[in-house]
Amino acid sequence: MSGILSVFNLNLLIATIRLSTPITLAALGATICERAGIVNIAMEGIMIIGSFFAAVTALATGNPWLGLLAGLLAGGIFSLIHAVATISLHLDHVVSGAVLNILAFGITRYLMVLFFGHPGTTDAIPLSLYRFQWAIPGLSKIPVLGPIFFNQTPIVYFSFILVIFFAFIMKKTKFGLHIRAAGEHPLALETIGVSVFKIRYLAVFISGLTSGLAGAYLSIENNVSFTEGMTNGRGFIALAANISGGWTPLGSFLSSLFFGFADALQVRFQIIKLVNVPSEIFIIFPYVATVIVVAGLVRKSRSPKALGNDFMIEKERD
Amino acid sequence: MNRKTLLVSLTLVSLVSGIIGTVLYLASYFWGLLLILGGAGIFLFSRFLRDKTEAVELLKKSGKSLLIPVAGIILAVLAGGIIMLLTGYDPVRAYKAFFLGGFVRNWHVSVLNATPLIFTGLSIAFAFKAGLFNIGAEGQYYVGTMAATFLGIRMGLPPLLSIPLIFLISGLISAAYNLFPAFLKVRTGAHEVITTMMFAHIARYLSPIFIRAMGGDPATSPHAYVTYPILEGNKLPIFRSFLPLANYRLHVGIILAILMALFVYYILYYTKYGFEIRAVGQNPNAARAQGISIGRNIFRALLFAGFLAGLSGTNQVLGLTHKMFENLDAGYGWNGISVALLASNNPIGVIFTSLLWGALDAGGQFMSRTTQTPNSIVEIIKGIILFLIVARYMYTYIGNRLKRKRGSGPVGREKV
Amino acid sequence: MESGNSKPVILETRQIVKQFPRVLANNNINIHLRQGEILCLLGENGAGKSTLMNMLYGLYKPTSGSILLKGREVEFHSPKDAIRLGLGMVHQHFMLVDTLTVTENIILGTEPGTAGVINYHKAREDVVALSKKYKLDIDADAKIETLSVGLQQRVEILKALYRRAEILILDEPTAVLTPQEVEELFLVMRELVRSNVSIIIITHKLEEAKAISDRVYVLRRGNLVGERITTKTNKQELANLMVGRDVILRVHKVEKKPGTEPVFSVKNLDVKNDKGFMAVSGLNLEIKPGEIVGIAGVDGNGQSELAEAILGLRKGEAGTIFFKGEEISLLPTKKRIARQISYVPADRHKYGLVLPMKISENLVIGYHDKKPFCGSINLNYQEIDRHSRFLVSQFDIRTSGIAYPAETLSGGNQQKLIIAREFSRDPEFLLISQPTRGVDVGAIEYIHNRILEMRSRDVAILLISLELEEIFSLSDRILVIYEGKIVKEFIPEDTTDKEVGFYMTGGKE
Repeated sequence: MSGILSVFNLNLLIATIRLSTPITLAALGATICERAGIVNIAMEGIMIIGSFFAAVTALATGNPWLGLLAGLLAGGIFSLIHAVATISLHLDHVVSGAVLNILAFGITRYLMVLFFGHPGTTDAIPLSLYRFQWAIPGLSKIPVLGPIFFNQTPIVYFSFILVIFFAFIMKKTKFGLHIRAAGEHPLALETIGVSVFKIRYLAVFISGLTSGLAGAYLSIENNVSFTEGMTNGRGFIALAANISGGWTPLGSFLSSLFFGFADALQVRFQIIKLVNVPSEIFIIFPYVATVIVVAGLVRKSRSPKALGNDFMIEKERD
Repeated sequence: MNRKTLLVSLTLVSLVSGIIGTVLYLASYFWGLLLILGGAGIFLFSRFLRDKTEAVELLKKSGKSLLIPVAGIILAVLAGGIIMLLTGYDPVRAYKAFFLGGFVRNWHVSVLNATPLIFTGLSIAFAFKAGLFNIGAEGQYYVGTMAATFLGIRMGLPPLLSIPLIFLISGLISAAYNLFPAFLKVRTGAHEVITTMMFAHIARYLSPIFIRAMGGDPATSPHAYVTYPILEGNKLPIFRSFLPLANYRLHVGIILAILMALFVYYILYYTKYGFEIRAVGQNPNAARAQGISIGRNIFRALLFAGFLAGLSGTNQVLGLTHKMFENLDAGYGWNGISVALLASNNPIGVIFTSLLWGALDAGGQFMSRTTQTPNSIVEIIKGIILFLIVARYMYTYIGNRLKRKRGSGPVGREKV
Repeated sequence: MESGNSKPVILETRQIVKQFPRVLANNNINIHLRQGEILCLLGENGAGKSTLMNMLYGLYKPTSGSILLKGREVEFHSPKDAIRLGLGMVHQHFMLVDTLTVTENIILGTEPGTAGVINYHKAREDVVALSKKYKLDIDADAKIETLSVGLQQRVEILKALYRRAEILILDEPTAVLTPQEVEELFLVMRELVRSNVSIIIITHKLEEAKAISDRVYVLRRGNLVGERITTKTNKQELANLMVGRDVILRVHKVEKKPGTEPVFSVKNLDVKNDKGFMAVSGLNLEIKPGEIVGIAGVDGNGQSELAEAILGLRKGEAGTIFFKGEEISLLPTKKRIARQISYVPADRHKYGLVLPMKISENLVIGYHDKKPFCGSINLNYQEIDRHSRFLVSQFDIRTSGIAYPAETLSGGNQQKLIIAREFSRDPEFLLISQPTRGVDVGAIEYIHNRILEMRSRDVAILLISLELEEIFSLSDRILVIYEGKIVKEFIPEDTTDKEVGFYMTGGKE
């Protein structure tokens, strides 16, 4: 019995935060994007792209911060394809997302072979962002909460800031109001002269940035290299996190924590080697958790009314 | 001989030569292609005899519908060539090898690649017709391989009996794997993209357990990470057994796949089940108002889609690999998505897009072996083809719809 | 043209043309609006009125011709330009975001604040001040989804006024209002005119044009066919201008005695709506064969929930539904249809048709798994096509072929398709909801006549409509629905629309 309980300690909670960070970041992107009316299932692909370019840049320049920037931007630029496809070409959002996931895999594999001569894993980066762990003076001394929240690595801190920042944007700014309107009733915006296209493009781009950042976290902060498939379905888990969080930044954060918890738990159970159960049983924890969450909570939260609906203006632009 | 008899016999001749040509062509007899073309020509001629304008219309229509896909392919090939140039490879040499490998020398590899794709492509296309995205087809594929391996090792009945049985049972097991996502979709509206995707990951992670149990345990067995082989009698027959010039690996799975595509087409367009599924996919509200059960049809669609994807795995095990390997990351589920989208979810179209995709893979492999151009340029080309064709298709479709509507009505329109 | 108003012309169009790929929507339109005037653009659906207004508002660009504002030629690239120059539009389908508040909707796009952050305090103050100034009472913090339709329209008007509109364009403003709310709107309009706002009202309703406007332009098929001073014309003249031929304003209903025993009845029905509130409570009605019972009511008083419950698309909480002596309250939709209940839904695109499917497929859906259209598994296309061709000719559905998708049909023909399908099933009970919405006058006549034909064949008919004129024209009995109950019963000949309207809005004796 003590075997199981020994898992539940402070380290579990610290790991929860660490493992939930990529999901949080991607889920935040999903929140903004879907609130504006665009379904984005390509987050998995965008994370892969961000992850790859972050690692490659960190390798090439030796500077992990440049890697972070590269991952961010690569994700943003890649997501613009989704924006063009769904907003200007009126492609079905889900189909476009699926195509982008396929594209992402192809691009990274090609570049992998090009740069490194073989698929699989890139070389290890010289300096990982993990080395930049920073204990905030004072706050990190608070019992329990201190080590969990205030003694973390850079991108983790970014994710906290982004949660608060996005929540502020959605509630208090013009942009946030426009996003909310774009996802509920885009025509209302268009008829008072606000461009729905512009808002949606921006929203998709932002989701690309955060998903790229999530990918960068995976390769250069949580790890020291890029491996194909390292995203492992997290993009889709982030989708579920956004839905179960009721399409709000704070909700996405809390849901992501739950999934991070499942992930952290699973790793620990594997290490402890509890019963004579093959380790794979534990690996599937997060996926099972996602299914349960999606099954139970979808009914309760209300999606933006115009989500996934195509929006067309029957006018000519000069 | 009167006109009607002439027409009927011409149609029959074209049909027969088409079928024989297809079988031969698939078995790498290239002059089978001639027979196919001949059959098509005779068919057109008979149409021409019947009604001149109708035949011309038919030609024009098929020409128009092929225009966009062909343009997409050409553009993607060009783009791929540019990327190759920019990254230091010779596109002309590469493409020469590519064409040789995919469409001439290693045509049997293309066919072998295409066969599982047809099954998964059908799975995804069928689900799409019901308005559902069976993105987790990869997982159902895994379940199919596991079931087929298990049965293939254990079931010792005469081949004429056991092979169809194995297909049927593993298909049913894969269908059952989609039960829970189907149930969740109907009961709670849980999006099948998330649930089937999660189940796909689960299947992938559970397969090593299965492989170790079926003989691949590195601790105890001489061949680690590989199961025992299936019984001789359970292997799919190969073309070489009746067509001696065929490649020794080419098995009759492709015939099964094509027959399955015809069957799916029949179900969709000639039965009441297909009618209801299409209605539910295109307008669930109107379907419901006419008494069609949404839940029952979602179940039918997802379960049948699971069945089809499972057959893909069965085909691979019984036909090609004859055992199951760990880390079998074949990607037939994901490529099945591309193949279905390219074919606009038409079951017959899936046959052709799968063959194309299979040829792309085979060509890529040959190209990388002989010219050292990385195989993965093919992935990029595939992605571009996919994007261009799907985008164009949507764009023209919507362009037509806009033209047809009169100028009245609300200004901006939300299209659900 | 001589008009009593000598104020200056503030808005004018000269030779305006709008050509769409297949349709010439506006052909050389010349209109002008004087300051302080209420101008009416009259025409039936598809006449080109909305297109014209959308050009004035900057949502469309004219193919040729010019727009002059206060004498100067202007070009609009987007609604922003039009708004900046003092034009405001209240659309037929409200451009309001349900989940946002009144204030948020009003300030949307012109939010007060700095550096992107919204100053909600000031916004609220401004909105309250505005509503006081124009005497348009509204709760600034209410969410739109909680407001009545009439109040929502007020928010739309306030939106335009917040942006300092001097010219207000109202697109079919009374389509969703009760007679009482229409009166209130007219009062508001007159008040606005007193504050120097000029108004253009777009409508297809003759009574409105007569009641409120100073001048009327009539459009027909993209052309301007007439200009009249309202006081100097009458409804018949306007109707004839609208349609181009002499129009029968009301169909000729033959005297008929309905059967003696009711064949369809609803007792004490309770039905919840999507939000969990009781939309229908304790509702009773009965219909005899050969009788048309019309349900009059403001949209949102339980009509759709009632229709859905009768069809089996929504489960009732309590109460029973009887048909031909059998209780059908628990039967699934499929079985009710099999028992000869037919339904013409209000929203034909949502519930009536599968648009991408062929016309022939749409004509058999619902009976697609029965003989002769289907064997045990296989569909019998020969029979389906034969039946479809028969219906197309019988019901005058204009189409190039039954193999074309239903979306290629015009609105009126789509409605005829639905009617062909439902009427040809020999129903004994017919539930018809909004049969002529979005259908032009010619097809309206046809559809009304076919409904009367079913009546003469002893079909029990329940008609739900938001158009009082339609109710009066067709019903043998009128039931008024209010908050989910039948509150009053009338015989059309013995009452007026004012009286019915009174009960529709909750008035009591």
